[in-house]
Amino acid sequence: MTSETLGRVEDASENPPQPAPYTIEAVELSPSLRAELLDLEAWGEILTTYGRTMGVAVALTDAQGRLLGETHNAQPVWKLMHDAAPGWGGGCPFCVTSGLPCTAVAEALHAGGVVMTRDQAGLTHVAVPLLLGKQPLGAIIAGQVFDRYPEPLPLRRAAKEFHVAPQQLWDVARKQRPVSGASLRASGDLLCALGHAFLQQRYAAILETRLAETNGHFRLLVEEVRDYALFTMDPIGRVTSWNCGAERLLGYAEAEIVGRNFSCIFTPEDIRNRVPESQLHEAMQAGRAENDGWRVPANRKQFWADVNITALLGDAGAIRSFAIIMQDTTERRRIAALLEETRLERGRLQEEFVSHVSHELRTPLTAIYFFITNLFDGLLGDLTPEQHATLALAVDNIKQLKDMVSDLLDITRVETHKLTVEPQYASPVKLVAEVLSTCLTNAALKNINLCSGIAPDLPFVWADPARVRQILINLIDNGIKFTPEGGTVTVGSRTFPETHGFLCLSVSDTGCGISPENCERIFERLTQIKSGGETSRGGLGLGLFISKELVLRHGGRIWVESRMGLGSTFYFTLPVFSLARLCAPVFKTATLELGCVTLMALDVVAVEAVIQADLLSEMRTVLERCIRPGQDVLLPAMSDTGPIGSFFIVACACDSGSSVIASRIRRELQNFDRTSKLKPAVSSTMLQVALGESGEEQFDKIAARIEQLIQAHLLDKESLK
Amino acid sequence: MSGKKILIIDDDQPLLLGLTTRLKANGYSVVTAADAISALTVARKELPDLIILDLGLPGGDGFLVLERIRSLADLAATPVIVLSARDPAGNRKRSLDAGAVAFFQKPPDNHEFLNAIRQALGETIALSAFLKT
Repeated sequence: MTSETLGRVEDASENPPQPAPYTIEAVELSPSLRAELLDLEAWGEILTTYGRTMGVAVALTDAQGRLLGETHNAQPVWKLMHDAAPGWGGGCPFCVTSGLPCTAVAEALHAGGVVMTRDQAGLTHVAVPLLLGKQPLGAIIAGQVFDRYPEPLPLRRAAKEFHVAPQQLWDVARKQRPVSGASLRASGDLLCALGHAFLQQRYAAILETRLAETNGHFRLLVEEVRDYALFTMDPIGRVTSWNCGAERLLGYAEAEIVGRNFSCIFTPEDIRNRVPESQLHEAMQAGRAENDGWRVPANRKQFWADVNITALLGDAGAIRSFAIIMQDTTERRRIAALLEETRLERGRLQEEFVSHVSHELRTPLTAIYFFITNLFDGLLGDLTPEQHATLALAVDNIKQLKDMVSDLLDITRVETHKLTVEPQYASPVKLVAEVLSTCLTNAALKNINLCSGIAPDLPFVWADPARVRQILINLIDNGIKFTPEGGTVTVGSRTFPETHGFLCLSVSDTGCGISPENCERIFERLTQIKSGGETSRGGLGLGLFISKELVLRHGGRIWVESRMGLGSTFYFTLPVFSLARLCAPVFKTATLELGCVTLMALDVVAVEAVIQADLLSEMRTVLERCIRPGQDVLLPAMSDTGPIGSFFIVACACDSGSSVIASRIRRELQNFDRTSKLKPAVSSTMLQVALGESGEEQFDKIAARIEQLIQAHLLDKESLK
Repeated sequence: MSGKKILIIDDDQPLLLGLTTRLKANGYSVVTAADAISALTVARKELPDLIILDLGLPGGDGFLVLERIRSLADLAATPVIVLSARDPAGNRKRSLDAGAVAFFQKPPDNHEFLNAIRQALGETIALSAFLKT
């Protein structure tokens, strides 16, 4: 390598790079785009003019420094060498050397500035980088000139190497016009700026052509789509374009509809209800709107349409227009409705059948139950221990049979969407305790230790007590069934930070475990996993499916974690009762202006031993008439019915306000024809609300305080019972 | 032994037999009726302290029987417990609305069922009796 680098221009302050109009870094330059950017014909004129004006040779190279096209205004010395060695095509097209090529182009591209270099014959050239953003495209090289008076010695060496007569070379060299290094560098800078500007302009021009092409293709595509109506509207809903699908579907020709408001394809009722406006409003707010409904084409024959409106934004972010895609789904909808109807009808028939079968099964089952339990309890005479043990098994099996009959009905209800839950304020601690006492016998029978690891201070849940009992019994019975004798089944509780607002109950066993691939499957209907060769006992394989459906209907989730041979833990979540959520509609700054909230409790003590459920529901209707909607909340049932029923009202009122409500309640209850059976008592507690504090946090605090008061009140009544 | 009289209205003879044994063992005297018509005749004749009523009866629906019982002056106050194979969904509320004090689906749990009977009869639950069942 004999060429040496003389200097480079890379001072950014002298030669600031121009800001690119497009973010070019982000664009991957394809080979074809590169070729188009370096199109020789386009560059030819600039390069020849430059070479002629500056008296230098000039040429275009690719990013690797290879010559692209011809050399313009080639200089005499270089031409002589080139003609003498026609096969010579060294690495750098401008260096007269048989050694390693110069690296000027690579350096210039790396540095982003002009690099000047001299070859072994004393000829100088500059390399000007062509960069688009930061992506190297190629370079312009200019020179083939002496930057000082030619030196004989290097020239002679070069002549020898290229087989040229030294004298001839010397003569040509002496006559070739030298260009000073300074002016060569300056002209290089000029060329750099010129090249950059030209490249940008070319890039913009190419993009524009391509965009126009794409637009053309796209327009053609949109126009040719026949199964979808595609059209655009201005921001106030006037149609601006209309494809052939729209023409086919809606019956209007483009010329008829452009300029009209799109509300003309809505039903008169929708227009009255301002549906078109609200859809545009939604699309404007959210950027898009999806909806379906009847649409009216030109021939007035309505069809059901699935519609998708997308807002198209202009430069300033304002909505420039809307694009609408519409499809006729009348037939699809009809078939779906038909299928759903058939499915429901099938479900109804099935339910009717199962309901009939379960009714027929229950009657003999009841007789058997009475006979066996009569024997078991010794009502018909004393039993030997063997007889007693046998009858215990019989009782157990009758219970299983009874559960299966119930499950059968539940399962058909899942399909007819009739499996419902009636959530109320319930204590999970109490529920678990009840269930454990029910399951104890069953566990003892199999010598399984049934224990509770439940936290005593669990929050109340918003759940159907009967259904939660059903879920728990199901899980515990499963645990007992699949745990070998001497094992343990534990009911526990957990809180998960990620499932805020939910309580998690768990049932763990020390049984055979469930393989990972079955952990999902066991919640499907009619699934029962065979446990390691052992013939599993009874059941229809419906329990977990029903449990899952019940948990889902509470808004919770159920899952299992298991290790083969070690046991399984079933988890399910239930929503925690939230008084704050219940009171949210009335806890507003406007209703709390008085600065107080009052909790009113109405206790009714029945003259009879038990308050009848229908009486309570009638009372509830009466109380609903007494409260002010939007300002007071009548809370749902907070305790199981006993001889005392309690109703709670959260009123956004002070003492005088709540006494108005109390007197209204008394008056209403006097008119209530069954009051003779009740002894109603109204009590109230007022809470001060400091309005200074902000929003929800404060409402949560009030709600928490009210909940404490309610629990204290209920405990008080409980002790009376 | 309270000696109170319970009328069981049910058309299933084995059930009558089984339940009668259980109730008698708990100190009640039991009379039975197997259809809607005789149910009312027996009820008016025997004037029981409590009635256990099935819903599906020959000669008339249980709800009709319940309605008739409630409309008769000397039976209007007699507590009625419905014991039916029918689905509690709907039937429980309908029974309670019609004036029954409790609804049990067949087969009932002996313990819960007897508790309901005692409660309806206004009896306090003696610990000894509780342990015996």
